[in-house]
Amino acid sequence: MSARLLPVLAVLSGLLALWYGAVGPMNIRQALDLAERKGVAVQPEGALARQEVSAFVLMARNPGEVARGYALERPRLPTPGQVAGELWATTGEMALRGRGFSKRSLIYHGWITLQSTLAGFALGTALGVLGAVMIVYSRTMEMSLMPWAIISQTVPIVALAPMIIVLSGQAGIEGRGLPKAIISAYLCYFPVLVGMVKGLRAPTREQLDLLRTYNAGGVAGFLKLRLPASMPYLFTSLKVGIAAALVGTIVGELPTGAISGLGARILIGDQFGNPMAIWAALFAAAILAGVLVTLLGGVQGMVLKRMGMAV
Amino acid sequence: MKAFKVALMACVAGAGMARAEDVTLQLKWVTQAQFAGYYVALDQGFYDEEGLTVTIKPGGPDIAPEQVIAGGGADVIVDWMAAALAARERGLPLVNIAQPFKSGGLQLTCLKDTGIGSPEDFPGHTLGVWFYGNEYPFYAWMAKLGVPTEGGSDGVTVLKQAFNVDPLLQRQADCISVMTYNEYGQVLDAGITPEELVTFNYLQEGVGMMEDGLYVLEDRLSDPAFKETMVKFVRASMKGWKWAEANPDEAAAVIVDYDETGAQTLEHQQYMMSEVAKLTAGSNGALDPADYEETVATLLSAVSPENPAITKEPEGMAWTHDITDAALN
Amino acid sequence: MSVFGLALLFWLAAWAVNAALARSRWRDASGVRVVVPVLFGAAILGLWEGAVRGFGVSPVILPAPSSVAARFAGETGLLWEDFLQTVLKGALSGYAIGCGAAFLVAVLIDRSRFLTRGLLPVGNFVAALPIVGIAPILVSWFGFDWQSKAAVVVVMVFFPVLVNTVQGLAEASAMQKDLMRTYAASYLQTLLKLRLPAAMPFVFNGLKIATTLALIGAIVAEYFGSPTRGMGFRISTGVGRLDIELVWAEIAVAALTGSAVFGLVSLVERWVTFWHPSQRS
Repeated sequence: MSARLLPVLAVLSGLLALWYGAVGPMNIRQALDLAERKGVAVQPEGALARQEVSAFVLMARNPGEVARGYALERPRLPTPGQVAGELWATTGEMALRGRGFSKRSLIYHGWITLQSTLAGFALGTALGVLGAVMIVYSRTMEMSLMPWAIISQTVPIVALAPMIIVLSGQAGIEGRGLPKAIISAYLCYFPVLVGMVKGLRAPTREQLDLLRTYNAGGVAGFLKLRLPASMPYLFTSLKVGIAAALVGTIVGELPTGAISGLGARILIGDQFGNPMAIWAALFAAAILAGVLVTLLGGVQGMVLKRMGMAV
Repeated sequence: MKAFKVALMACVAGAGMARAEDVTLQLKWVTQAQFAGYYVALDQGFYDEEGLTVTIKPGGPDIAPEQVIAGGGADVIVDWMAAALAARERGLPLVNIAQPFKSGGLQLTCLKDTGIGSPEDFPGHTLGVWFYGNEYPFYAWMAKLGVPTEGGSDGVTVLKQAFNVDPLLQRQADCISVMTYNEYGQVLDAGITPEELVTFNYLQEGVGMMEDGLYVLEDRLSDPAFKETMVKFVRASMKGWKWAEANPDEAAAVIVDYDETGAQTLEHQQYMMSEVAKLTAGSNGALDPADYEETVATLLSAVSPENPAITKEPEGMAWTHDITDAALN
Repeated sequence: MSVFGLALLFWLAAWAVNAALARSRWRDASGVRVVVPVLFGAAILGLWEGAVRGFGVSPVILPAPSSVAARFAGETGLLWEDFLQTVLKGALSGYAIGCGAAFLVAVLIDRSRFLTRGLLPVGNFVAALPIVGIAPILVSWFGFDWQSKAAVVVVMVFFPVLVNTVQGLAEASAMQKDLMRTYAASYLQTLLKLRLPAAMPFVFNGLKIATTLALIGAIVAEYFGSPTRGMGFRISTGVGRLDIELVWAEIAVAALTGSAVFGLVSLVERWVTFWHPSQRS
């Protein structure tokens, strides 16, 4: 375990150090503007004159003001500590005070995003599996559908997002949960489809022939051979699919005026010039993605073990 | 097939008609004090008193209220007149039934140290403009000044500004669009003093356009029951607006309560409410036809491919006093 | 019989033709492989056209494909300007920088087992993240023009390509590496003659994922500020101006671009990895 953990920790701390170091030059201009307004003498004077000088020169000429950049209220780049603080303040701290599900808490917004993600994931998986079965059993389907499935993924979903929301409103679907789920299903079905087609075709000719000698029908062949054989492929693509579903939900929430969810927090954070809210929501989304993929990995291990196909 | 078509049409229209006293309002933007009157009327039970069940749908950058109402997703929308007139010319006949905002809060704010002191100084500078239908007054203004918007030394470079004031703070733009009640406050919050800024108000520059008004689809006004509902709705909404003007701090608290993102701060909403109150102060809800004429004249003064608002006088009933007359009697 | 009924008939007929073609003896001819999906797509478009006309759907909700096509033809200049801004300047430069950097980093860290072990899980994790959310931050860092869009694309494509390349470089078997050693091949020779070619199927997998991501990134970033051109700009303002036909025309450009680039990458892949089992059929 430690043989795998140590390198990861080393890489992570390297990234953290890089981030921490970048805060200085990223925030120096803002820090100097602020200092100047407070009457501190800075070199060179005037924001316009400082535009001409590089950030590193500014840091060298005003060494006393660099620290100010690490404690700005609305920094261009917050420090890791500031982000962690904001994340804690909007999750753990609120939960401790019993307000974990208040609208101000990221737990609430994460939950909204999670619901849409899971709905989209379920819808996308169902579509993907169904499509795969049709493709494996119908040659017409394969020839008609497969190229379009690939093309569908090259259409940037963000362009379609506002259209999907209006059309689903037109179809009498109220609320914004379902349109978001449709967007995330759109991104999620493809890896599942591709994985399942591969998986359902995994049985060899000998295996299929053997089944025929048992006089097994098409349904039995599907349930007893093709479906079990496809499980390892299914789980691998499900892990890709759930991550894609989360991306889809965030994309659906981001520009389309969703009013709650992590994507909406990013949007509102941007609108009200509150970078900390954006960063906190981004990390919350990252944590959510990590948890979902890990959970699926766990289910995969359990199911495959019981089926005797442990990897 | 015909029966199916009828069923589909009924389904589309049914979103708003199921029960006559259900009203869905689509806002132009996210939940904020700009729409305080409606939230107050909801919160204080003014809609209930009229027997209305009102649903308020917040908007967002990708939500076009005109598209929502065309799709049957709302009965009434909050919109800017320029956008509503543009929609009318594109075959979506929107009618102004009330105009709670007497004056507009749209401004262009510039940093003084960029050398801008008056509109004559614009050429050679970069200006941030909102789109989503809010660009019409800007292009009308530039046409009036005779300034090309394609960049170059005698023209201005136009940026599609997003939703915050970063472009000004980080000097990516010399001027940005602000609303008196929102972004201007954000600029000040960022530590810039009013003395460092030069601000141009669109109304004072003679290119003002009516901002937040209430619009419905023209054909629905022929239904007396719908008209009656709208009368009640406008009456309760105006009551909400006047309550919000009188109690700005409480109204701001109502907004923060209804904000589903949980990201709005009470402090900023209080600022916004106090500024919005200045804009709604002169209105009893009825549209002043002179204001309408000014908006149309401004739009027609700058017809160009970049500014495809309207190309001719609006046809048909672009506004009506029927609702406000009955509501305010 | 309404227009929609006709469209439905057309769709059924197209399906019947496809089914017959798929069962016929020409089913593996390359012409048929193209005709069948094209017919399928045309049938869907016909159904859409019929539904819009038959039910009188308002053009501000969903325009008919024919009016989108007319708009497309009438606005080629504008669409080209947007294509230039978003695809060639924003997406393509970001794609080139991001994929190139990821490839170089992968080859460099591959020399250290420790780094590879540490970066692979981190990279895998980051590749699964909704990185699009970083768009507003990068727009505020790199300004409104295409540079910020390219930056979003760089961040989005970097990790998928990195992870795939690192995995690919581990693909050459110990036996093959031993063989190279018996030839007294240097590190560079082993890399160029054995390990990089063996990694190519993986690299191309990463490149294909990255093409889609690049377009999404460049378009989303334009929502958070842009000059007055670009596909994302036109889509977001088109919605605000109820110019829905133009929005769909832009979507069509995006779809065509995405498919064309994907096809191009696949072609190059076939040419480079002709030896791989997946390319021999």
